[in-house]
Amino acid sequence: MTDEPLHPVNGLDEVVHQRVRLGILTIAHEARRAEFGYLRAQLDLTAGNLSKHLSVLETAGLIEIEKGYAGKRGRTWISLTAAGDTALAEEVARLRLLIARVETVEHRQED
Amino acid sequence: MSTDSVPAGEDPRRLLSEARGLARRVRVDQRVTWFALLVLAVVTFVAIPFDWYFFDPALSWRRGVLFYWPPVLLLSYAAIAAYYVRVARERGLGARVLPYAITGIALTVLFTAAWIAARLYFPSHPQRLPEWVLLVDRLVAPWGTIGVALLVLARLERNLGLLVFTVAYLTVVLVPIDLGWHWQGQEGTWFLPQQFINGTVLLLGAIGFRLADRRRR
Repeated sequence: MTDEPLHPVNGLDEVVHQRVRLGILTIAHEARRAEFGYLRAQLDLTAGNLSKHLSVLETAGLIEIEKGYAGKRGRTWISLTAAGDTALAEEVARLRLLIARVETVEHRQED
Repeated sequence: MSTDSVPAGEDPRRLLSEARGLARRVRVDQRVTWFALLVLAVVTFVAIPFDWYFFDPALSWRRGVLFYWPPVLLLSYAAIAAYYVRVARERGLGARVLPYAITGIALTVLFTAAWIAARLYFPSHPQRLPEWVLLVDRLVAPWGTIGVALLVLARLERNLGLLVFTVAYLTVVLVPIDLGWHWQGQEGTWFLPQQFINGTVLLLGAIGFRLADRRRR
């Protein structure tokens, strides 16, 4: 065993490290809260598919889902929990680290 | 510890780039910059008759500033914040306008206090003020505070276009424009060109941001 730090891939959270779920967390973080329809349009998903991803994130405690009404229309709002905020920040940091690693390897190979 | 490799479809560069793109899209969808500028332009134009009517030629004071600007600016920031929240909600988003409204309100209170202090102090202590004091005076005047608050909005929205516009606006506000112009020879009209130009810059900004917004949608 060496003291070398673990490869960033080892720290990736499989709940967050997924294109759609990372997108949901990013939008909810930037928007403070986002409506179901907005997420569906931006991520180009069917309602059923988006619901499945939301359910995974909610079960992991990363988002809160709030149902309400705008007039007679039902609306579902999604917001990040504190854990979701942290998970997103950690995922972005790990992605940056991973990219830096890949670039270092590419540079070595070029040399 | 996971032994799975990163799935081929989840290339980190692509993931990060998509996340940045989504964040940018959200910020653009939250903006109603044109509305804020339109409200401030209207408020600036409507102030002109107030400032002219309540002008005190003996002290060269625009007393209208105190009667008109504090309540109107407070109402304006409240209206801008309410409209931002409404539009963002209609678009399916939360809003990030509150710090702008709070800054605007705080600056309005600051300028009101500064103007009252100056009104109480200077009539009994007439003196020629150095240029930097006049610059600060223009910055804490209503037109200056509008610009400072817009800088906060540009930061909140990470809106480079608004930042460039606001720097240009503040330059116009802080550099005194004296065309030596007096309406029908009246002493209390020297400030009209400057105020008209301030309002026009805000109005042109509102039109520009509205057109850019419409082109994007």
